[in-house]
Amino acid sequence: MDPNAAIELKDLIKIYKGAAIPAVNNITLHIPKGIIFGLLGPNGAGKTTTISMMCGLIAPSSGHIQVEQFSVQKQKEEVKKIIGVVPQEIALYPTLTAFENLQYIGNMYGLKGDALKQKIQNNLITFGLDQVQHKKIDTFSGGMKRRINLIAGILHDPKILFLDEPTVGVDVQSRNVITEHLHFLNKNGMTIIYTSHLMEEAENLCTDIAIIDHGKIITQGKPKELIQQHHTENLEQLFLKLTGKKLRDH
Amino acid sequence: MLRLISTIRKELLILLRDKGGLAIMFLMPIAMITIMALIQDAPFKDYQEMKIPLLLVNKDTGSLGKAIEKGLNESKMFEINKQTLNDTEVKQTVKKGDFEIGILIPENATQQLDQNVDLFVTKKLSEAGLGDSVVAENQNTEPLNLSIYFAPDTKKSFRISIINSLKQSTSKIETQTLLNFFSKELNKDGEQMNDKEQMKDFVQFNEISTVETPQEALQLNSVQHNVPAWTIFGIFFIVISMAGSIIKERDDGSYLRIRTMPGSFITVLSGKIISYLFITIIQAVLMLLVGLYLLPLLGLPKLSIGSNVLAMFLMIVFTGLAATGFGVMVGSIFKTHQQASTFGAVSVVILAALGGIWVPVYVMPEAVRIMSEFSPLYWSLSGFHKLFLNAGTLSDILPYLLKLSLFFFACLATAFYFDKQSQ
Ligand SMILES: Nc1ncnc2c1ncn2[C@@H]1O[C@H](COP(=O)(O)OP(=O)(O)OP(=O)(O)O)[C@@H](O)[C@H]1O
Ligand SMILES: [Mg+2]
Repeated sequence: MDPNAAIELKDLIKIYKGAAIPAVNNITLHIPKGIIFGLLGPNGAGKTTTISMMCGLIAPSSGHIQVEQFSVQKQKEEVKKIIGVVPQEIALYPTLTAFENLQYIGNMYGLKGDALKQKIQNNLITFGLDQVQHKKIDTFSGGMKRRINLIAGILHDPKILFLDEPTVGVDVQSRNVITEHLHFLNKNGMTIIYTSHLMEEAENLCTDIAIIDHGKIITQGKPKELIQQHHTENLEQLFLKLTGKKLRDH
Repeated sequence: MLRLISTIRKELLILLRDKGGLAIMFLMPIAMITIMALIQDAPFKDYQEMKIPLLLVNKDTGSLGKAIEKGLNESKMFEINKQTLNDTEVKQTVKKGDFEIGILIPENATQQLDQNVDLFVTKKLSEAGLGDSVVAENQNTEPLNLSIYFAPDTKKSFRISIINSLKQSTSKIETQTLLNFFSKELNKDGEQMNDKEQMKDFVQFNEISTVETPQEALQLNSVQHNVPAWTIFGIFFIVISMAGSIIKERDDGSYLRIRTMPGSFITVLSGKIISYLFITIIQAVLMLLVGLYLLPLLGLPKLSIGSNVLAMFLMIVFTGLAATGFGVMVGSIFKTHQQASTFGAVSVVILAALGGIWVPVYVMPEAVRIMSEFSPLYWSLSGFHKLFLNAGTLSDILPYLLKLSLFFFACLATAFYFDKQSQ
């Protein structure tokens, strides 16, 4: 396998129990280290399913997933140590404070003591949340929760970070802080895998993208090159051109 | 270890901040214990002290009359009223309903019994050519008549059981007298058997029992029943908040996040179980304190907890384990908080009813009593009764601990199965 690959998917298929059609239908994908990769697609395209399989959360029906030099199916523990996950949901405890939430998650990654405290402080300052760190999460706005949710995924300095729609329900300011910090993390060597259906954001953030629909990759490459190739003005137009204007309500 | 400790810390923090949950966990069982102990105080006393009013007319001065009287007394089933009345008067009094039963032992009953036996023995011996006295052919035994009167509304089954026991007792006396006579006849010069010794423990009315009343029931008062019962109920009610916590973590992605972290999920689950177990132990201790110190202030008897503190602690821990296991299972099977709390509450209430939490199992119909055997709350309550009422030891409660731990593991296995299914 390629030593420069952060992730390699080969003939990946996922058919949920009882489902008539596959949620992920034969995806083969090569994600090199050090990029910000956007997995873009309409609702129900199979983004979360793909990311979940990469993190080892759900088992593929068939196919192979490699994260760095480890097979996700066979070396799950090794994989877990080098990845960070920011789930689509706000996976925080509402009655605990921001600090308590982050402390718990840090502990779960084996971080503790002053080192952990320092790390939490730094991140809180970066994301402008140090003033409210001792307030309960349920008093936070959507944007604040999203930022804490993101910090929770990067406390342990993962080599590969998965973000599943990290900017849903977030105002422009919050989104800006998040994308800026993701750029910063990426510059420091973190590979970022990101899903979204917000094309403008993806265009600004991602170095590489793949557009997925009905569980299949329709196209992939660098955003600028793809826009040129398809003679569209921006990523959003490209997206509509490729995925169609039909609603995805199943 | 860090993962386990921080999970416990997190769970306890969440529990402590959930004021509503705390109220359900602690105030509800305290209220239930106090209210139920007060309400059931009188009925329990009635049940315990329920004695059947019995009119006894003993005209006999010999050992038979005494033996019957003693037997009736020792059965502790009857409230015996001794009077000197004649046949018709006894009949009238019982008929009026003042007494459930009237027993009349006629004059010279002992003498007549002896005579009958004497006659019988001599006859038999002479038939065998052994006796030295000659028995007239026409001399016949006349049965000794004990009269028993029942109140008109007495149930037939009850009458039969009383008569049977009396028959059984008197036949024992007959046999005894018979044996005495034989031995007297056979060794006329020999030493006489000690009459008194022979009659001892001879008449027993243990068999007279219309309701099956286990030994425990006699000692079971309202406090002894309600304190362990509602403590167990409170412990099991934790199922609702536990299932809720599991479902919430699954819904908000925390569960998935945890599963992307290195290390075994078993540690995280153990942390949750230990935290809730800790709560159940606090609950139980608090409830026992209520029984020991609060209830006496309300004029109720003080809870007696036996002397085996270790066994009691284990009983609490294993009850807590069974409850937390059940919580994990409910949390894994049901998709929504609503479903889980409805099922949790209903199932715990049903298991509680079957388990004799509301009313003791021994007053339930036979069919229900069989089902009780399947309620973990019943196992737990039985264990506590063993310890509190019968000075039970660790080995006495071992079967219950075993059943509770099997229940715990069965629940976890079911939970894992459902968890796998949903992936
Ligand atoms: N647990 C599941 N069981 C059965 N079907 C599922 C399950 N999870 C997802 N699906 C189905 O698989 C398909 C892909 O879903 P997925 O969540 O991966 O889409 P997505 O691209 O993340 O969409 P969204 O933008 O709405 O998050 C959908 O049709 C969805 O209904
Ligand atoms: Mg999704």
